[in-house]
Amino acid sequence: MSGIINSVDRVRLIAGNTFLEAVRQKFFNSILLISIALVVSSIFFQQFDFGTGELKFITDFGFGALFFFGSVLSIAATTQLFFSELESRTALTILAKPIYKLEFLVGKFLAAHMLMLCFTLIITLVLSGILFWRENTLMLRLGEEFLDGRLIRYGDVFLFGLLQWMKFGVLAAITLFIASFSNTNLYTIMVSFFVLIICQLQYIALDAYSTIEMGAGRWLVQVLSLIFPNFQLFNVGDQLVFNAESALPLATVMQIVGYGFFYTVVFILLAQLSFRRREI
Amino acid sequence: MSVLKHPILLRLRRLSVGVLLLLVVGQLMRPVEESAWKIVRAGQPELNLGEIEGALGQGLVVGVLGGFRTILADLLWIRMNSIWERRDRIKLDAMIRLIGTLDPRPDFFWINSARMVAYDVPHWRVLEEGGYTVVLGERQQAIGLEQAEQAFAILERARSLHPNNPKLYLETGQIYLNRLNDYENAAIWFLKASELPRAPYYAARVYGELLRRQGKQVEAYRYLQDLYTNLPNDPYAQKNIILGRIRELETTLKIPYLLRYQSAKGYEASKVEAESAQDDLEERSR
Repeated sequence: MSGIINSVDRVRLIAGNTFLEAVRQKFFNSILLISIALVVSSIFFQQFDFGTGELKFITDFGFGALFFFGSVLSIAATTQLFFSELESRTALTILAKPIYKLEFLVGKFLAAHMLMLCFTLIITLVLSGILFWRENTLMLRLGEEFLDGRLIRYGDVFLFGLLQWMKFGVLAAITLFIASFSNTNLYTIMVSFFVLIICQLQYIALDAYSTIEMGAGRWLVQVLSLIFPNFQLFNVGDQLVFNAESALPLATVMQIVGYGFFYTVVFILLAQLSFRRREI
Repeated sequence: MSVLKHPILLRLRRLSVGVLLLLVVGQLMRPVEESAWKIVRAGQPELNLGEIEGALGQGLVVGVLGGFRTILADLLWIRMNSIWERRDRIKLDAMIRLIGTLDPRPDFFWINSARMVAYDVPHWRVLEEGGYTVVLGERQQAIGLEQAEQAFAILERARSLHPNNPKLYLETGQIYLNRLNDYENAAIWFLKASELPRAPYYAARVYGELLRRQGKQVEAYRYLQDLYTNLPNDPYAQKNIILGRIRELETTLKIPYLLRYQSAKGYEASKVEAESAQDDLEERSR
């Protein structure tokens, strides 16, 4: 029992120190600032809008920024946090102590995941603030259109944030897995981005091949869909925020969260399998 | 034995173990994924390989991946303007499909895409083939019909996404009417549009007029009478126009004065009612 407590303590120490290092990084702060600026600028981008409602446009834009910059940050930050220890040789010092490689990996993952939590929270808060402000303005201007109360369900903005955060967790775990056998930052980042694209678009291939007869193509796509998690599952923006009639059931939300959590654990274990044999 | 411990084989073994583990995990998670995916998928715009494969190299990955789909569709629409100016109909067609895929929500995209395909592209095609003096009338009609069918397909897809939007039904009717001069089919679509909630008043009025143009005078007369009776006294309903048409039909059908249509208030009163509605409308427009 005390062994587990000690292990948790060690993981917490690694995660805490790595997290502090991560939030001080210029890269994180730059991405955060760009994302906030982009979400705020959605008000001005409406000049290019052709028919979508103003609030819907701002929401889509904010969700887009969260998805895109969150993915970039998740991959880049995890890679950076992992390789910084290897390149500066501090990993040697850490792992020379009675610290398991799994603890090292979990600590790194938790730090990256905490970083993503901060990012997701800030972006969703900014987005909710802008939506609240614009909705109030519209309510004053077009009172009769808001007889049934507010249009936006703000809880859904945070629910979307939670699901994205779960997805960033899987992405960070995949990045950690790739980093565990890769020798360079660049290779890890590139491969992780390709994996992200595959995970995000695999459902299109699966749809396309599901209509054809069983053959090599269909078999290959099915195997790939088993290997790579389906990230499109987390893309529920269209069913949240405005769509009160067909809101996402809680059971589905729980399934998606469970799906993300399970894949995160699996990829961390895979990273451990690969990393334990690695010469540092 | 030493061959089995070759670094490449060891690496391959580790890779196989990893892939196998992921396959097992994928299989284990499949029921959860399928159950959630069914619900999530139902709320997402359709996206298929055919529609995006031509655009993946154009920086659209970001949009297709799930973020910025709205703004990307808007920017592509602006970009499509230059394609329209160049009269590049192949690119125009690809762009219409891509924009509709990226953001299928605004009816603006569907209606204007259908208009370009039905009205502009036939003109370009006739010019490409030598102009209106060279291309035979039959060929011009064939081109018009071909393009109209493509426009109908666009509107059909839009209706599958927005089944209660009367504008999409009206647009099909307009193409039948203005592009193909097909009153019979146009009437069918105007009637469908008029039966939808939030349909504009003119949909039913035009349907009545189309019946008349088809020579179905009696049917038109009865329909317009019902319409006049049931329409509210809203100036935008333009009841005076309907009454005017009823009177024209009464003259055509040679209906005796005593048997002519009267609103609940009587013949003269209904005339006054229609005139006051017209005055209201003019007042509002001023």
